[in-house]
Amino acid sequence: MSSVPTAHDRALSALYADHHGWLLGWLRRRLGNGWDAADLAQDTFVRLLLAPDGTPEKQRGWQLDEPRAYLTLIAKRLLANLHRRRALEQAYLETLAQLPAPLAPSPEQRALLLEALQQIDAALDGLSAPVRTTFLLAQLEGLGYAAIAARLSLSERTIKRYMVQAMARCIVHMP
Amino acid sequence: MSAEPLDEAVALRAAEWFFLLQSGDATEADRQRCARWRAAHPSHALAWERAQRVGQAFAQLPPGVALPVLGRARRRTAVRALALLLVAAPAGWLAVRQTPARDWLADHRTATGERQALALADGTQLQLDTASAVDIEFDSAQRLIRLRSGAIHIQTAPDAQVPPRPLRVATAQGTLQALGTRFTVRQEAGHALVAVFEGAVQARPAAAGVGALVLQAGQQVRITRGQAGPTQPVAPQADSWTRGVLHVRDMPLRDFVAELGRYRPGVLRCDPAVAGLRISGVFQLRDTMAVLDSLPQALPVAVAYRSPYWVVVTAPDS
Repeated sequence: MSSVPTAHDRALSALYADHHGWLLGWLRRRLGNGWDAADLAQDTFVRLLLAPDGTPEKQRGWQLDEPRAYLTLIAKRLLANLHRRRALEQAYLETLAQLPAPLAPSPEQRALLLEALQQIDAALDGLSAPVRTTFLLAQLEGLGYAAIAARLSLSERTIKRYMVQAMARCIVHMP
Repeated sequence: MSAEPLDEAVALRAAEWFFLLQSGDATEADRQRCARWRAAHPSHALAWERAQRVGQAFAQLPPGVALPVLGRARRRTAVRALALLLVAAPAGWLAVRQTPARDWLADHRTATGERQALALADGTQLQLDTASAVDIEFDSAQRLIRLRSGAIHIQTAPDAQVPPRPLRVATAQGTLQALGTRFTVRQEAGHALVAVFEGAVQARPAAAGVGALVLQAGQQVRITRGQAGPTQPVAPQADSWTRGVLHVRDMPLRDFVAELGRYRPGVLRCDPAVAGLRISGVFQLRDTMAVLDSLPQALPVAVAYRSPYWVVVTAPDS
């Protein structure tokens, strides 16, 4: 974070100048609105800025053969995240709407809960459906391994392995 | 950002340790081995701490909301798997965590914050603590009380039948047989806790081939399916709830808040920053709001109401 622009910063500035406008247009066509597109275009470049040193493209000083293909690759990933967050938010609102009134959380509580749910959802992303289901049933319903094994028609050993797998993923990915 | 990269192998090992120690099957040697593993490398300690945080994060989610939201999945296969599960799940599971569906079908049950005294057919006095459910199954061979959830206090009466039938309490982890006595049984997620105040109780874990243990007055024990023990002295006033109060001495605030939370619907949480403070006193269980309001006078804490159902005990200026 020095104030002297490094070669890395200069390469990114050039990338931004040359392709930001194009990326914004690309995203706007996919999202159908300007503000989400602007956010995601910005996020795409922030990703590059914060890329770990081991990233091969960074090691090559951001000299990319196909800069637009690379940018859309990252933008698509962010787009998928956005859709996932929106879908979760939608499911959340629908679930809350079904709760009896005394149990309905306050607005602050809603926001906190949604944030917690999104963190967990993001951490669990990429796990296979049975692993995810196993973990949720154990952690949220408090079901024992035997009960989950019976429900999913799997062995208890498998359930145990799934639990470890899911927890390890959370350990790596939860903030 | 605390996103320190953690090696996957370390995370897997931490997860294994986490579930082993949580299972209740861990031996003292396991615990020591886990402690050595954690001390062996800073990344081990970090992974272990994250595992605890993950466990806590889940514990704080209301399952009625979290399960349908997180359970709805994007992949078609997952959607189908979940849809099947939801159909198979007991009816009413969405409503409230404190009363799992099976408890609605129990012979006697109490709501969160409620307590109830019952006189059974044989004269045995049974008290149900908050959010508790029991089935009473008396027949010619035994007097069986099935503890489905929560906690009960039992004052036995001699059976009028000849020969007298044994009085037993069945928990998810094992069975207790009263030997003329006064005792409490509390059903937790992975274990049952038995405390004997008068007489004696025989505790028999559910797993085959595990021996029974006889508890004398003044002793308590944790029972898992595979083990009963070791015995510990009963905390003084551990049965204070039967008198409608929570009587504690020098209790960590974390534990106190957890106890109080059993008598309140919704979420009651203790900020880790104040969790180690100690509290003593006698608190009325029928008005937990008043208890919470009195905390800042006793300790350097603040009570933050995010809603009537979401309360956090924190440091004063946070």
